[in-house]
Amino acid sequence: MFKYLLGFILLFLTCAIYSHLVWAEDNITAGEIINTMTQTMNPEQSEAKMKMTIMTTSGEERSFLYHTYSKGRGKKTLMKYLEPSRVKGQTILMLNDGDDIWIYFPKRNHVRKLASHARRQKLEGSDFSYEDMGGSNTFVEKYESVLLEDEKKEGHQCYKLKLTRKPESDAGYSRIIVWVDKKTFVPIVIDYYHDKDPELREKQLICTDIELIDGIYTPMKFTMYNKLDDTKTTMEIIEINYNVDLPDALFTEEGMKQ
Amino acid sequence: MKNLCSKNWIIELIIIWLLLLPLAGLYGQVEIYGYFEPQYAGYLLNRNYNQTGYGKLRIDLKNTENKNVRFGADLIYLNYFGLRHWNILDFLPDEIADSIPAEMLPYYESYFNDTIYLDNAYVRLNVPKFALMIGKQQISFGTGYFANPTDQLNIKDALDPTYEQPGHNALRIEIYPVPRISITALYTPINADWQQSGKLGRVKLGLGHFDISAIAYRFWHTTTDFYTFQSATEEQTMLGADFVGELLGCGVWGEGVYNVMTDERENSYEYLVGGDYTFKNGFYTMFEYHHNSIAKDDYHNYDLNDWMRYITGEVKTISRDQLYGLTQYPITDLTTVGSMFIFSISDQSVVLAPMINSSLFENIDLTLMFNIFIGAEGKAFNHNFGNSGLLRATVYF
Repeated sequence: MFKYLLGFILLFLTCAIYSHLVWAEDNITAGEIINTMTQTMNPEQSEAKMKMTIMTTSGEERSFLYHTYSKGRGKKTLMKYLEPSRVKGQTILMLNDGDDIWIYFPKRNHVRKLASHARRQKLEGSDFSYEDMGGSNTFVEKYESVLLEDEKKEGHQCYKLKLTRKPESDAGYSRIIVWVDKKTFVPIVIDYYHDKDPELREKQLICTDIELIDGIYTPMKFTMYNKLDDTKTTMEIIEINYNVDLPDALFTEEGMKQ
Repeated sequence: MKNLCSKNWIIELIIIWLLLLPLAGLYGQVEIYGYFEPQYAGYLLNRNYNQTGYGKLRIDLKNTENKNVRFGADLIYLNYFGLRHWNILDFLPDEIADSIPAEMLPYYESYFNDTIYLDNAYVRLNVPKFALMIGKQQISFGTGYFANPTDQLNIKDALDPTYEQPGHNALRIEIYPVPRISITALYTPINADWQQSGKLGRVKLGLGHFDISAIAYRFWHTTTDFYTFQSATEEQTMLGADFVGELLGCGVWGEGVYNVMTDERENSYEYLVGGDYTFKNGFYTMFEYHHNSIAKDDYHNYDLNDWMRYITGEVKTISRDQLYGLTQYPITDLTTVGSMFIFSISDQSVVLAPMINSSLFENIDLTLMFNIFIGAEGKAFNHNFGNSGLLRATVYF
């Protein structure tokens, strides 16, 4: 009798825990998913060496190697080009989620501040704009998010979210569809829609090769497809370190010149 | 092209490498990089076609071993070809050129000799919030694109405004007390004389989306009388400020100075304001307005000194008010087409500069630019300057 009672209690507890998990999963909001994804993709601090490869319209490949430093969950970002020699030493500083951008030109020892409209410009001819590179909190602050039906994408069970630009926002895309991996909260696919035409898909970002590094799920490769120009740009993480203590001075004019 | 391949050029290049290689060996962490830049230009001057150009080799050295102590240097070799002998009077209005006494004519001739020189050579010492830089170094001030009233050290070519500037011998201290505030002190030695040497102070402050600077520079300004080729120096104190930021979604900037001269009748002021915008299709446009009080507003009054001081860079403009414009559009991911113009509001003359920039191959930039002067004889941008085309390839290594 006791055995049956124990079995019943265990069954009840299992069902309760399972039903709680299901309830929790079903009740996760679009905002919570976007917040968790943003936190996953923007750890407190990071230092990485990355390679960017551009496939141009003519089918040529161009490669760039750079160091990137990030602090405050992506609120401050500094990128320093290492290769090719054409841009060697050129440094980009983005503060306030990419709202303030400075570029340092070492050959002239000159720092130039860019206005926010320059965020639309391509980064060294790539399919990433300054806006794509900075703006860690852009999805949260500049878009309204709605949770759609779950979907399997690139082999991952995903939450599917529709992000619509807030009326007062100056974001560069009218809407965004993002598929977020349910296990890692890494965005697997992001579709960016044209600024003027919400039906026209302009770019698609695919994140692959997810690895657990220092307890943080990290996509080691990002591929941005430009659907209008038929070009693509890949960014690969060569080295990454999350256990760093980056000084605030790095994210200043002083840091750009070092 | 013959000069480019001449034996002397090759020998001198070998000497440069022989000098550099032991350095690279001694300091394992010394990086060597640079570029080779051939440029060809064709001019239509006085109905004659002239061609000129150069091959430029720049070799940079930079140590990367110690983050607190860094040295950098670059060596430039320039080899000219085509027309090397110039007579400045060819570019001046006939009325002025004809007034030069015969015995003074040789002074207006110049010859471009092949040259090799150390462009920059400096040591930079860094500790947190402080940097000291000693030696020949790049110095640039101001937020303007086509011209910089606050920059008294460089002569900017408004038709090629982003081209690198020569290094200057200086001692520079930079202090960064808190983020977005910097203090710069600069000393530019002239001979052995502390009095004649330049002293500059600058404070830069970040306020919201704006960067604002205040600058003061005391130096000795040289003025040449080109009728006699006698130079005179006079103490000048420049007080100025600049800003850059954003207004209604557009980039805005400006800089202005007031120059206090020993002879207060020669005091002057100069300012520039500008703005830019990138449209969502990638089309970029920029305008700047530049006022220079020491320049003249009636072109009938431009005399030999005005022209020569403008050509030699003693003054920044010959006409008092100028409007600059730049448009650019990326036609492919690696090619940009655009055009610049400089409009002299004072004398209603203009120069147009359509251009194409292309990153033709990895590490090769190609620039094709034309200069078309539309202005009557005697005006700032008159046809005496010669319509021209320029092709420049920069090969980085």
